[in-house]
Amino acid sequence: MEKPKTLLSLSIGLVISFGLMTMISMNSCAPTKAIADKTGVQLWSENCQRCHNTPSPTTFSPEIWETVGMHMQTRALLTEKERDKIIEFLKSSR
Amino acid sequence: MKQKLFINKCALITTLLIIVSVNLFAQVTGTVDSSIYDRLNYLEEQTNYHKSGDDHFMVVGLTTFGYAASKSINNLNGVITSSKSNSFPDGDHYEFSPMLLWRHGKKFLMEFEPSFNNNSLSVNWADISYFALPNLIIRAGYFVLPFGTYNKKQAAGWINKLATDPMGISAIPSTDYGIEIEGGLPLGSMKMNYDFSLTNGLQLNGDGTLTGGNITDNNNNKTFTGRLGLLPFSNSCLELGVSGMFGRVGDIGTPYENVKSNFYAFDLNFVKTFVPILVNIKSQYNIINVGDADYISPVNSAQTYTFKNRTTNGFVQCAIRPTGILALKDLELAGRYTTYSTPANSTWGSDQHSFSIGLNYWLSWRAVARITYETYTGNSTASQALNAFTGTTNTNTLYLQFSIQL
Repeated sequence: MEKPKTLLSLSIGLVISFGLMTMISMNSCAPTKAIADKTGVQLWSENCQRCHNTPSPTTFSPEIWETVGMHMQTRALLTEKERDKIIEFLKSSR
Repeated sequence: MKQKLFINKCALITTLLIIVSVNLFAQVTGTVDSSIYDRLNYLEEQTNYHKSGDDHFMVVGLTTFGYAASKSINNLNGVITSSKSNSFPDGDHYEFSPMLLWRHGKKFLMEFEPSFNNNSLSVNWADISYFALPNLIIRAGYFVLPFGTYNKKQAAGWINKLATDPMGISAIPSTDYGIEIEGGLPLGSMKMNYDFSLTNGLQLNGDGTLTGGNITDNNNNKTFTGRLGLLPFSNSCLELGVSGMFGRVGDIGTPYENVKSNFYAFDLNFVKTFVPILVNIKSQYNIINVGDADYISPVNSAQTYTFKNRTTNGFVQCAIRPTGILALKDLELAGRYTTYSTPANSTWGSDQHSFSIGLNYWLSWRAVARITYETYTGNSTASQALNAFTGTTNTNTLYLQFSIQL
């Protein structure tokens, strides 16, 4: 009974790996220009609400936003550029 | 003569007025200049005093408090019993958890979240992160395991859409001691993220259940946990994730030392506005397989028993919020179906289902008052020979809850 299970697990793993490799091959690892040109307000409206309501820029001081930004990068697994743009938007919109 | 005298007087008065005005103006001008300089000096001192350094410390936190009233009916071999209960707070959903964050520049972040819940003090996480590269964070300490998304991203009361956690989510180990790497990566018009950890791992108990978060490893094998997430659309509205957790769970030097556990999870997160409605769909399905083992019978310690140690649980949750309708924008309707199946013929086997529906009223982006109604059905599949069979239980519970993050 164990061998079919192992084979199934391996097959699932291979399919996932193959799928990922295919997608990586189809898309270069660098972001497209449209993605790279996204503004802080765009990234703020798209990413924060994936987990919770979008935060008001007036909630924290600029210095606190820096710390919150680092914490949120570890939770939402944002790229560093996304984090910096979102935090700049929040700091400048207070 | 009189006219000349009058002209002289007028000239004298005018001259005096000019002199007085000039003096007064000069005094005022001098006072203003001096106060501005004083103020500027003061502000400069204040600015220097408050200018941010490399280090920054802050405290945020969350609390969740509620009330729960439930009615339960149990049918055990034709014997029906019922019970009612109501209490402050709403069971184990109450928590008071300050979170402390230290930042050193943009490279180091320490996170510590103690929590008062379940009538005791505990720690949700205590770790340090090093932001090594733009797409690489290295973490060490006691942290939330990268398995699925619920424990790491959705469990907080002010984030959750319903008053309860999905059934069976507590069967998934949430935190452990170890090291972790994680990050987000651009992928053309898509994005992906990775999160891998190596930790002490889980410990197999005498009844086949597992516990985690041990500061001392119970064997020489470390547990690998990892999750890969893919956001296939350029607006990040959909995230699909696959997770695994693999390691030995038996105590070293015991007959269980070679017993392994394999965990798998699949998760989905979809959040998008279809004007005027914000749609939020979340789902996670978990599979837990533990290797075969003989356990000591609780009825007769001279005998052993075994069972297929496989647990599955999953949920699908949908919430809609009319953010584009001014009168209703603070209201959110949520529903969730949960299934939870634990090993048959063990002492804790069951087949459980629940359906929850709730209404949230958002007082701010991080404060919510909610009402949730949950129906639960549990059919015991536990061993009758081990006197563990508990029959069928139906429970209906009403929750009133408030949660805030500050």
